[in-house]
Amino acid sequence: MKKYTFHVSGTHCASCKILIEDILGEQDFIKNPKVNLKRETVELETESEKSQEELASILTEKIKNNGYRLAVEKEESLEGDGSVLFKAIPIGLVFLALFFILQKSGILNLGIGGPITPTTGFIIGLIASVSSCLAVVGGLVLSLSAKVSEDNNNAVDKKNFTLFHIGRIVSFALLGGVLGVVGDVIGINFTFTAILGLLASMIMLLLGLNLVGVFEKSKVTLPAGVFNFFRKVQHKTLTPLIIGFATFFLPCGFTQSMQVAALSSGSFLSGMLIMLAFVLGTFPVLAFLSFGSASFAHSNYAPLFFKTAGVVVIGLGLFALLSGLAGLGIIPPLFNI
Amino acid sequence: MKDIKNKKENNKTTRATLIVLTVFLLIGLGFVIFGDSKISNTENIVQNVEVRDGTQYVTVNARGGYLPRISSAQSGIPTKLIMKTTGTFDCSSSLTIPELGYRKMLPQNGETEIDLGVRKPGSLRGLCSMGMYNFEINFI
Repeated sequence: MKKYTFHVSGTHCASCKILIEDILGEQDFIKNPKVNLKRETVELETESEKSQEELASILTEKIKNNGYRLAVEKEESLEGDGSVLFKAIPIGLVFLALFFILQKSGILNLGIGGPITPTTGFIIGLIASVSSCLAVVGGLVLSLSAKVSEDNNNAVDKKNFTLFHIGRIVSFALLGGVLGVVGDVIGINFTFTAILGLLASMIMLLLGLNLVGVFEKSKVTLPAGVFNFFRKVQHKTLTPLIIGFATFFLPCGFTQSMQVAALSSGSFLSGMLIMLAFVLGTFPVLAFLSFGSASFAHSNYAPLFFKTAGVVVIGLGLFALLSGLAGLGIIPPLFNI
Repeated sequence: MKDIKNKKENNKTTRATLIVLTVFLLIGLGFVIFGDSKISNTENIVQNVEVRDGTQYVTVNARGGYLPRISSAQSGIPTKLIMKTTGTFDCSSSLTIPELGYRKMLPQNGETEIDLGVRKPGSLRGLCSMGMYNFEINFI
């Protein structure tokens, strides 16, 4: 039995420790892998007779899909963590600026007259997916996708994202149908939606800060228990389905208008068709955000992507949080987009 | 050795450039978010308050925001707010007026009359339920 210490790169989150230890622990020739996040090292015991260099490359094979690498010597990287962040902040700000300019330009304010048919529903969905609703729904999708991609390999991501979109599409169609049948008896509660929106924006802020790396820098790591829980939950098939389902209730003016249209449509089929057409309209942008995240996350640009996504998500989260509070009348409105 | 030194120097200048860029972008973003858009400024001139049969009517258009953003009206007379929607699907159709506890989905097309009663001097604010659009009526 020999004891080795490797340098590990690519650890950007507290849960990385658990993930690396899990994967290495699964190898039958490895005993007691211990990751030290602060020093970026992995200590382990092995019965293998191979040299440390060989072990480093064998083990790197196992964890490289998740973005980690083992090395005998500490890799002297020119791209220190700091300089990635210095690039990520301006790039993120450019995306935020483009988003807000698009909102202010008024391009999205085309009025659509006439009764709502599935066709207009689809067009409204397309508009909604780049509107200020993107701040809540898109921001949430981006932050969750980036987080999931950070902790998993490509196949797991794709499965999760597919389930999320299925959950979203099914919930819109189904609940749209229900609204059509129930009619004016119930209304979607404003305050309930607003509170759900506040919750979503807080999740975005937390995940955004995590992606940027605030928690590792300031050593304010969330307790491992929370991350353990998060890991367990995100591996359940049901989780992405439920989150997708819940997006029906997230605050978005367009969604609410369509819900009202479904309410007054008078039948299950027409309510369902309107909401289905609407959600399909929002699909391209959201699919791009989630599946795009996955492909960036497993490319060479991964560190830059995570930090940029973090900056964008923090910006959108702040915007959603402050406007959500203003909408509830808790604080005066700060902006008028 | 020299190479590494050069690279470090390069890194420093890139970093300085990136910081300057970040500051500029932050200022620009501030202007975009907090600045008033041109469209609403010109529309502000439009006369939207009229008094008919002793009742004051304030008309506000709701689509992709509220126009005019700021209206000024008289205090001390019965006042009604008319919200006009024309193919409005965005957030501005879900109107809330926190001070009155008013929350309602406006119809996609049409006019919705809201009784404001007799107002004291001061301002009344309405927002869309997500909070990113708002308007104000100043009662003088």
